[in-house]
Amino acid sequence: MLVLTRKTDESITIGNQVTISVLEIKGNQVKLGIKAPKDIPINRTELFEKIMSENIKASQAPDDLDLCLEFMDEEEGK
Amino acid sequence: MMIIKTTRFGEIEIDENRAIHFSEGLIGFPEDKDYVVMEHKPGSPFMWLQSLTSPGLAFVIMNPFQVYPDYLKEIPSEEADMMKPGKDENVMIFVIVTIPGGKSEQSTVNLMGPVVIAPDEKVGRQVILANSGYNHRYPLSMNKNK
Repeated sequence: MLVLTRKTDESITIGNQVTISVLEIKGNQVKLGIKAPKDIPINRTELFEKIMSENIKASQAPDDLDLCLEFMDEEEGK
Repeated sequence: MMIIKTTRFGEIEIDENRAIHFSEGLIGFPEDKDYVVMEHKPGSPFMWLQSLTSPGLAFVIMNPFQVYPDYLKEIPSEEADMMKPGKDENVMIFVIVTIPGGKSEQSTVNLMGPVVIAPDEKVGRQVILANSGYNHRYPLSMNKNK
C-alpha cells in the first residue's frame, strides 16, 4: 500500500479524474472530500464489505433450490 | 443466439441481446461483468441473474416491490441518481435473495444493495444505498403477514 502524508486542504489525485482532499482533521476523525465521475461508486469500506459478504452468501444458493422456491412461492401467494 | 454453460441449468441458448454488461461486476465479483436475467419458472416471483462467464455463478433475484411496496419512495436525490446505470430513464430494479442452505424460511433480500439494469442500453450495476436505512438482510417471510 502506498502511504502519503497530507495536511488539511491538501489532496491527492488518482488517475485523471479522481481527487481526494483532506477537508478537516479533528481528533481521530478526518473529513475527506472526493471529486470523481458519477459512474465511479464511492462507498464506506465497511458497507462495501457488508454487501460483498452478503453477495457471496447469496451466490451459494442451495442445490435443492427448487424445493426452497416452491416453499417461498406459497408464502408469496398469500 | 449463443450457447452459455451453467452448472445449474446445463447448456442454455440465449439471445445475445439479452446480455447485460456490468462494468464494475457485482460487489465482490469484479471479474464477472456479463449476466443474463432468466425466469425461474412461469409465475414464480424469482428470477436468476446468471453469469455468462462463470458457469457456477448465479444469483436469485426478485422484484423488491413485491416484498416492500414502498421501496425507494423516499431516498436522497444522490442515491436516486445512482439508480440510473445508463443514460436510459427506463430502469429495472432487482434485489438479490439470500437463501441459507436448508433454512429457506430464513431467506432474506438485500434491500441495501439493489441491482439496477437499463434494459435498452443493456448495462447494469449494483448500488449501495448507504443513507436510506435499508436492511441488507430484510426477511422475505415477513411478507406473509401482510
